[in-house]
Amino acid sequence: MANHIEDSAGALSAGLRSRAQETTVYKAPTALARNAPGYLFLMPWFIGFFGLTLGPALVSLYLSFTDYNLLQPPTYAGMANYSRIAFGDDKFISSMQVTLFYVICSVPLKLTFALLVALLLNRGIRGLPVYRAIFYLPSLLGSSVAIAILWRQIFDGDGVINTLLWQFGIEGPSWISNPDYSLYTLVILAVWQFGSPMIIFLAGLRQIPTDMYEAASLDGASKVRMFFKITLPLLTPVIFFNGVVQTIDAFKAFTPAYVISSGTGGPIDSTLFYTLYLYQEAFGYFRMGYAAALAWILVIIIALFTAFSFLTSRYWVHYDD
Amino acid sequence: MTLTINRRAVLMSMAATLALGTVGLNRAKAATSMRFLWWGSKERNDRTFAAIKQYSDKQTDVAIAGESFGWDNYWTRLATQTAGGNSPDLIQMDYRYIFEYARRGTLLDFSPFMGKALDIADFGAANIDSGKVDGKLYGVNLGVNSSMMVFNTDAWKEAGIEAPKDDMTWEQFGAACSKLTATKKRRAFYGCQDASGLEPALENWLRQKGKALYTEDGKVAFEAADIAAWFEFWAGLREAKACVPPDVQALDQLTIETSMVGLGKAAASFAHSNQFIGFQAINKEKLDITSYPRVAADAKPGHYLKPSMLVSVSATSPNKDAAVAFVNFLVQNPDAAKTLGVERGVPASEKIRAAMAPTLDDNSRKIVDYIARLTPKVGALPPPPPNGAGENSFLLKKVAEEVAFGKSSAKEGAAKFVEQAAANIKRG
Repeated sequence: MANHIEDSAGALSAGLRSRAQETTVYKAPTALARNAPGYLFLMPWFIGFFGLTLGPALVSLYLSFTDYNLLQPPTYAGMANYSRIAFGDDKFISSMQVTLFYVICSVPLKLTFALLVALLLNRGIRGLPVYRAIFYLPSLLGSSVAIAILWRQIFDGDGVINTLLWQFGIEGPSWISNPDYSLYTLVILAVWQFGSPMIIFLAGLRQIPTDMYEAASLDGASKVRMFFKITLPLLTPVIFFNGVVQTIDAFKAFTPAYVISSGTGGPIDSTLFYTLYLYQEAFGYFRMGYAAALAWILVIIIALFTAFSFLTSRYWVHYDD
Repeated sequence: MTLTINRRAVLMSMAATLALGTVGLNRAKAATSMRFLWWGSKERNDRTFAAIKQYSDKQTDVAIAGESFGWDNYWTRLATQTAGGNSPDLIQMDYRYIFEYARRGTLLDFSPFMGKALDIADFGAANIDSGKVDGKLYGVNLGVNSSMMVFNTDAWKEAGIEAPKDDMTWEQFGAACSKLTATKKRRAFYGCQDASGLEPALENWLRQKGKALYTEDGKVAFEAADIAAWFEFWAGLREAKACVPPDVQALDQLTIETSMVGLGKAAASFAHSNQFIGFQAINKEKLDITSYPRVAADAKPGHYLKPSMLVSVSATSPNKDAAVAFVNFLVQNPDAAKTLGVERGVPASEKIRAAMAPTLDDNSRKIVDYIARLTPKVGALPPPPPNGAGENSFLLKKVAEEVAFGKSSAKEGAAKFVEQAAANIKRG
């Protein structure tokens, strides 16, 4: 008997020991090991971020302090690239002017247009998804080469616009190849691609509680008054978001100008966007170091604009909570 | 209805992909495979792909993949591929760029192959030397050309005005053009393009006056007064409506398709003689070639013969012998010559010229005849342009547009051009 008891006690203690071992096995994994599957699933993104975004960005920062023509290894040039940008580059200034004009013209126009269309679509019409898709279509096509070529056809000397004007006895200029007008055709192209801010505005409009409008209409407020007193203030977060995103996009605009001017930025550099100038320096004249410096200046300019937007936002953006 | 993807479908498609992959690998392994990169129009692509096919039909173990780009994108592509250690084996090369690539050690020296795998002795010294850099041969001449004026014979006939011909003066040419515009046979149609921003036209004009674009040591060889006179001459033509207005000329992106003759905006344009094939290919009306007008009857020759393009082999190519053999095929095989025609210029080889003479069509014959009658009248090949010269050709276009649109005077424009051109050269 005693033996039996001992045995069972031994078995029991063995069982306890093994259970204790089991619990230590479960406690052992470090945070890393526990999260390994998560990181594994994140790997594609990590590889993309470090290999295709952060790595090249750091290399470009290094190259911006060098002379590099692709065929020979880069040679260190100190601040030469940056000081040329700051003090000795007329094209930097003129391309910056073109880009700023484009940003200042196209962003407010595009947002206004997007908001107007969103208001129209928000009136509970039938077949809304169809209209929404149709109005969004230009944004999908917008930065494509085909659309830029279409734009050439429309604003050409004997293009669609001038044929229409001709019906009224007006002989229009060749809009895209006249330095006084060419940039406006690009602004119109940008405004036409109002789809993505429109979708966001539409979502924002849906968020505004209808009881506010009901209360206002009981008080006898007009539609216009309701728009300015209810819709607009409650939409400011969305306007702010769209404004920041569209401004950044406009600074980075490249394809339309590249295709419409065949990469020259002509006539007379009137469509020489900053990004196009950067591209010419890099791939036209193989001044990779200088182009890298130009790219970093653009990063700083966009960052400043965005920071400015965020700082001023507290005075006009209205958050519910 | 929803699309369901089950495990079996995924596995099967993976297996299929793998199987297809091995098919591709086997094909690639069976042959010496090389890449050939060139720039050019659709016409050139068709002819070049046909010549490649001729070659691989005979040399079944050699596969050549051709890639073609427009002139602008071509140099970007080549530079990035070369920098990335992924240079194509066979490279179409230009006289402007060969020095840069050769001196950086990216091209193969053909000298050891001369007289063996590469048999181009019948090119003549001048046509061999135009592919040499520092005494070594890095490029094989793919065709000889010169600049030309291309004109629409139908338009001139319709206007009842004698078409441009060799050796007329610039004044005569301008007068004929303004007469053609004045007949108003077509809506918004002019005598000629506005060539004030076209570098080869300026170069031809400078050479006629005994000057040049660049000196032997790579400096600017013209003065502000020369450029001002050039801009003023074209301002006169614009005033007389001999040439197209500036907003029409600005459509010209220096391609055949956007040239004034190509767009049907004018009866005459300036281009390179080998491009005549491309011009005629996109034009329903009959075109013809003549030389540039001259500043005076006793002017110095403005024209020169140059390699319209060269072919080079990458210094890092693993298939150097196969690549050189293909180069030799391109320039010395009568069948290849027949396929390629004179679209890249008139072949430098005397033997090939004689072999293809009876088979030439009308358009090709026009080019060959033009080069033949120009040859006794040409001057020497100018020295290779310095670094920064490529930027200057765009600078000329921009400044000429400023003058044409009335944003600056001819004198101001000329002073600006000379100053910035020198700065671009200095920057390299």
